[in-house]
Amino acid sequence: MKNFALGLFGEPSSALAAAGKLKGAGFDSLELMSPIPIAGVEEVLGEKKSVIKRFTLFGGLFGALFGFTLAAGTAVLYLHPVGGRPIITIPPFLIITYEALIFFGILFTVAGFFISSRLPAFRDRVYVPETGVDKFAVSVACDNEEHFKRAEAILHEAGAEQVREVGEED
Amino acid sequence: MQAETNDLQYADVNNDIVRSIVETGPRYYVALGIAGGVALLCFFFPWFYQLYFGIGAAGLNHPGVWGTYLASFIFWIGLSHSGTLLSCVLHLTNSSWRKAMYRSAEAMTLFSLMVAATFVMVHVGRPWFIHWALPYANQMEMWPNFRSPLLFDVMAIATYLTGSSIFIYMGSIPDFAAVRDRTTGWRNTMYTLLSLGWRGTDREWHRLHWAYTFLAVLIIPLAVSVHSIVSWDFAMSLVPALHQTIFAPYFVVGAIYSGTAGIVTVMFVLRRYMNFEQYITKVHFDNLGKLLLLLSLIWTYINMVELFTAWYSDTSTEHEALSYKLFGYYAWLYWEMIAFCAVAPLLCISGRFRTSMVPMLILSIAINIGMYTERFLIVGTSLSRQYLPDSWGVYVPSLVEMSIILGSFALFTTLFLIFVKIFPSVSIYEVKETMDTPTVTSNAEPIAPPEGSPA
Repeated sequence: MKNFALGLFGEPSSALAAAGKLKGAGFDSLELMSPIPIAGVEEVLGEKKSVIKRFTLFGGLFGALFGFTLAAGTAVLYLHPVGGRPIITIPPFLIITYEALIFFGILFTVAGFFISSRLPAFRDRVYVPETGVDKFAVSVACDNEEHFKRAEAILHEAGAEQVREVGEED
Repeated sequence: MQAETNDLQYADVNNDIVRSIVETGPRYYVALGIAGGVALLCFFFPWFYQLYFGIGAAGLNHPGVWGTYLASFIFWIGLSHSGTLLSCVLHLTNSSWRKAMYRSAEAMTLFSLMVAATFVMVHVGRPWFIHWALPYANQMEMWPNFRSPLLFDVMAIATYLTGSSIFIYMGSIPDFAAVRDRTTGWRNTMYTLLSLGWRGTDREWHRLHWAYTFLAVLIIPLAVSVHSIVSWDFAMSLVPALHQTIFAPYFVVGAIYSGTAGIVTVMFVLRRYMNFEQYITKVHFDNLGKLLLLLSLIWTYINMVELFTAWYSDTSTEHEALSYKLFGYYAWLYWEMIAFCAVAPLLCISGRFRTSMVPMLILSIAINIGMYTERFLIVGTSLSRQYLPDSWGVYVPSLVEMSIILGSFALFTTLFLIFVKIFPSVSIYEVKETMDTPTVTSNAEPIAPPEGSPA
């Protein structure tokens, strides 16, 4: 069981300021929860890197290869000569290639999203339903009582309306 | 939008939109019952009748072997175009007015595509062989011909349907979580599964933003390719009036035009009957009206180019097809289309007209009647006047076909009515992004359905 200090804020700017102060005080396991995306998170918590673009790129490349192979391969397997034209005809097969590129690009993007955002996740995690409505929360992992008190003080100082102690299954 | 939502708080948005899902009045059940009943009686029964007695039950015969089923297929594919496509373009250009309307527009795409795909099955007559269009290993060692535009269609529509479904679902995950927190019982279980454990953390928002943006970038060219490919079904034939290079842009512009008009219709209904006056405002109608005006001008220009190239080709078959279209058996339909799609939308020049809801509704319906007519004329007039006079003839749809057209609208309405009770029809988090930070807070208690409601 891991314990967290969770501060609830009415303003995104206060939540961001609290996150910055906690980070400055040496707390590194921080999470912001909000009803909308907050601008400026990366300036406070550091730049976030996502692998999604790589998934999209490889999905697209795989799709293109798959699409062309499908069209050309089936044409070779079932020969259908038309007026002496080539069996592997580039212009129409490029359309199949293009559609397959998009198809797998989309599927791989979704896979990248799920993997990088760690979803789906149905186990109990730190969460307060108010952050789905109109509150902004900062949660920070605390190893012991002393850590919690320090985090609580920083959260209050930054303007937290409430600070709660919440637990999460390991 | 901003002006009319100034008095709203974040909590009001959650309350209003969750209520639109949870609280269901008798009017909704009556509408669902009528739409479902009409879909059953006018779409499925005639289709089963046609399956039982054969494709002869339809009015399809030489030379009119393509009829209203294919016209309906193009129409519904076209109607699907403004939803996801417009949503993607407005997302990438960061247009805030998109935020209250895009979810319903995307749903329109999804259901239009489903209805369009059903029309392919109705048209082929023997839908139990539809898997022949798919590439799979079989004992005859036969593979589909990927040089045919019909196979391009299979790939494009399957990709577009998959992409649109994923796009609407991804954008809804945060809203499913918001609804999850305010519901109980089976709804809570359903939204817990749909929201996948979303908590709105900085990591989740960041990943969603990028995934959503990449999907938008992938879907925009896909949408353009889908209707270009549909146009090649016709343009790659050697039939006079169909074999034209203008067909791909003509179809794409027509599709976006028809889809935008469809969005106006859907926005009107949602605003009036789902009590979304504070979210779907005059600003939306004003912007959609401007878009309709622009699209009508482009559409009119392409129509003029189509007529000009037919005349300038100086071939007797093209001239015959042109004169038949303008003055022949179906001429009244052609001029009706011009009146509804080229002349009537000029009313959108007036700002007062664009912000008047009922006139905009009437215009949007008129445009889609005109656009359906356009699709019918593409198929009907062209096949009626091919190269040899002994193959000339007139196609008139049978009662079965007309009933199935009517039923398809009911089928679409049924699917849409089911959608509004499962998906938040207005994006909760994106509407909040256009608002100021809350000053009044409220609790996050579940909203129970009203007493006596079966839901």
